[in-house]
Amino acid sequence: MNFEPVIGLEIHVEMRTNSKMFSSAPVGFSREPNTEIAPLDMAFPGTMPVVNKQAVINAIRVANALHMAIDHTVVFDRKNYFYSDLPKGFQITQQVRPIGKGGYLDILDKNGKPKRIRIERIHMEEDTCKQLHFVDYTLLDYNRAGVPLVEIVSLPDIRSGTEAMHYVEAIRNIVVYSGTSDGKMEEGSLRCDVNVSVRPYGAERLGTKVELKNLNSIKNIEIALDYEIARQVSLLLSGAPVQQETRRFDETSGRTILMRVKTDAVDYKYFCEPNIAPIRLSDRFVEDAIKTCPELFESKKKRFIEFGLSETDAEIILSDIDMARYFEEGLPVVKNPKALANWLIVEVNGYLNKTGQTISKFSIRPSLLSEIANLQDIGLTHKQCADILNYILEHGGTPKEAQEKLHITIQTSDDVAVLQYVSQVLDANTQSIADFKAGKDRAIGFLIGQVMKISHGKVNPAAVAKIMDIEIRKR
Amino acid sequence: MAYLDLSLHDIHAALLAKKVIPLALTQEALARAKADKNNAFEFINEKGALEYAASLQEPEKENVFWGIPYLLKDNFSTIGIPTTASSNILNGYVPLFDATVEAKLKNAKAVLIGKTTLDELAMGGTGTTGHLGKTFNPWDPTHERMIGGSSCGSAAAVSSSIVPFALGSDTGDSVRKPASFAGLVGMKPTWGRISRYGLFPFAPSLDHVGFFTRNAEDSALLLNLLSGRDEHDSTSSFKPVERFDSKIGQSIKGMKIAVIKEITDSISNEQLNASFLKSVRALEKEGAKIEYISFGRDLLESIYATYIVISCAEATSNDANLDGIKFGPYYGGSTYQEVMFNARTKGFSELIKRRFVIGSFCLMRENQDVLFLRAQKNRAKIVERTNEILQNHDFIYVPAAPGVAPRFADSSDRLSDEYLIADNHLALGNFAGLPSITMPLAFIDGLPIGVNIMGRAFDETGVYQLAAAFERISGLEGLSVLNKKEGKL
Repeated sequence: MNFEPVIGLEIHVEMRTNSKMFSSAPVGFSREPNTEIAPLDMAFPGTMPVVNKQAVINAIRVANALHMAIDHTVVFDRKNYFYSDLPKGFQITQQVRPIGKGGYLDILDKNGKPKRIRIERIHMEEDTCKQLHFVDYTLLDYNRAGVPLVEIVSLPDIRSGTEAMHYVEAIRNIVVYSGTSDGKMEEGSLRCDVNVSVRPYGAERLGTKVELKNLNSIKNIEIALDYEIARQVSLLLSGAPVQQETRRFDETSGRTILMRVKTDAVDYKYFCEPNIAPIRLSDRFVEDAIKTCPELFESKKKRFIEFGLSETDAEIILSDIDMARYFEEGLPVVKNPKALANWLIVEVNGYLNKTGQTISKFSIRPSLLSEIANLQDIGLTHKQCADILNYILEHGGTPKEAQEKLHITIQTSDDVAVLQYVSQVLDANTQSIADFKAGKDRAIGFLIGQVMKISHGKVNPAAVAKIMDIEIRKR
Repeated sequence: MAYLDLSLHDIHAALLAKKVIPLALTQEALARAKADKNNAFEFINEKGALEYAASLQEPEKENVFWGIPYLLKDNFSTIGIPTTASSNILNGYVPLFDATVEAKLKNAKAVLIGKTTLDELAMGGTGTTGHLGKTFNPWDPTHERMIGGSSCGSAAAVSSSIVPFALGSDTGDSVRKPASFAGLVGMKPTWGRISRYGLFPFAPSLDHVGFFTRNAEDSALLLNLLSGRDEHDSTSSFKPVERFDSKIGQSIKGMKIAVIKEITDSISNEQLNASFLKSVRALEKEGAKIEYISFGRDLLESIYATYIVISCAEATSNDANLDGIKFGPYYGGSTYQEVMFNARTKGFSELIKRRFVIGSFCLMRENQDVLFLRAQKNRAKIVERTNEILQNHDFIYVPAAPGVAPRFADSSDRLSDEYLIADNHLALGNFAGLPSITMPLAFIDGLPIGVNIMGRAFDETGVYQLAAAFERISGLEGLSVLNKKEGKL
């Protein structure tokens, strides 16, 4: 019997707003635990939530990118439960009226064919505090408590691990390029809970679903789902039922491991948050939020391809928003965008990898890299330009200064000039001509080297080789 | 007569004339606080108050609060001063921030004398459930009678003339009912008029900051100071702050006043009924047009149940932060569940736990429709009816309670007409968020009783105009146990 997996995703995205969802504490990048806290984040009695406007703007932008209907009335609810990471004993969320409803996202399936995934809802809520468990105690870090989140809930339209991976990638591109989040799965700023079940092909009824957690990279989503689908299928084939349970992905073994068996669903006793009166958003506010949304991934990709970049090159540059920003900042100066892309992808990436740096810390300004790329257009070789780049990386200064220090000049390909040097060298090296005629091919390399030497590198080696080949045969 | 017994304007005049200085006022207030026999205090801020009062040198002409001693109910957050809400679960809790109202009082250079007792976490109407035990009614030196709650300590302290005013909070009637039993002016303005930031929540949709004074004008002056939009409380109103005392002294001629018949009908105390009727005649004599109207008996009888469901449901959620992890006593436990269980078992009294169970029950998925959501729908109906009456009338005027302060030993029959209607109707003001003020009416056997005036949303200025006129009729301006005024009604 053949089985079909049915997959739905709940994605939590931590927003990179200046302050928290309901308090004025900064949402920063402090690595020092418990340094970014307002009294509300620890639920001190008498504190009250104040909605972060930027978080609402971000949520509208993401909802719009997902083609959702946006609710112009913002209402929050309380989700009540006791847990050590939940300071207030309730989470403020949007249960009844999510800010966005009924959208979709187009992705590619595992055969590369386009597929539409429907999205049920997107809502705003607040993050919990972070727990660090030790053998006989737990540490709590409230820096994360109250960080704004958007949760994006898909309908169960996904049918393979690959599709799930593409879906998460596409969501990540939207939240990153809309400026909503840094979207780093490894650091937990984008977290996926995956619901997966399998059923015989053609069956209407859904199988028992299993929830997967701890999927901390895009690639792991595919690995975990492939494993879990195979596990469920083999259970069913052996006649055993699939249990409703929560499983955690174990990165080292590539397997999913049982965390807990689900009993009855928890009753969260939702009710409307009484400390936040419903907020009416004007049409103007919603329109402005959408209009001022930074350009998204897909639009940039289209534009980069129009500049002459290959799809792969465009995707490599766009895979890092800072790289994309760098590329765009270099565009006004560079003559050939494709050359700039090449420099970024090959030389700059190589340098960054070697030195363990990121593009945002790269010492050479985009316009400067563009100037260097332009030098190739006016006749310097790639090698010469790379030397200039490396010189500036080491010593600073301008390309002109580097060129002078390195005695780099533009090489001529002018036939008359090249012929002059070639003739001069051939005249002076009759033995090499004889060697060449005797079948020693490498003699020609020596002769070209001689040309480069007496011309002080002013001629283009390719042009030299071409004319040398003609001239040597004439002798 | 000491300066403390005067009105704010009179104390201010004495301060400006340098007949008295803030330090002397503070010393007197502290001496009276320490002599308190009614269990009104959670904390007396002796050192802080003396130091601060000593630093106040030059009186501020336009600021009637300069150097005035005051008290806060112990459910307002105060930097560096223990705040327990009279609950063991908050023993030892010292807040890191000031409630907005406290910040405003500090900014006005008033002097905080201490924090007053309340029913545990402001849940209760008897003044008996706080962790320090019963608070007594100063009008009954035998200590047989309650002052009412939950703002029991503030009511006891102001009627004892320890300070000219004290803040309380009012979720059902927690300022306005004790005001009636204490012979005080007890005000709760429109919901949103005063920021609730820093007030420990009981049921936010019903919670109000309120206050006790000994005359209507002081109450208006206090509202001038405390009201206004606060960015920390997003439910606070953007309405501009008025001079709420601006119509005090003006004639009430032509004011249309509704008396709710079912409320007066349900009261069996003849002396109260007689005094109330006298007051109606006197108001009419001043030119007010009084009409007895029917509110709807079913709606009035449903107030209590509606209130219990909504307030307990909200409370169970609001107080979920009290889990023994972040503040308050820690009782240990080997899992987080045990830590919470131990703290909440030992930290809350039985009464509070009962309210949490009720609240939790009402919010359960299978009960929400028939309990919580139904209560909210009923609340909306009650509000609609109230506002309907206020379309045709400027004010609603009724006795604040069915009688004088009850004895601790007496348990009221919770299903009697009198209890269901006359003991619970003040919650109308909380349901609808309307400005509502209790004024002393008269005495029965040496114990004060009060009336209540409720106005349209944000018409506090009108409410004070009528309240001040009423005060001239009752003759009970400035009433305290020290002066034992008798009044005219």
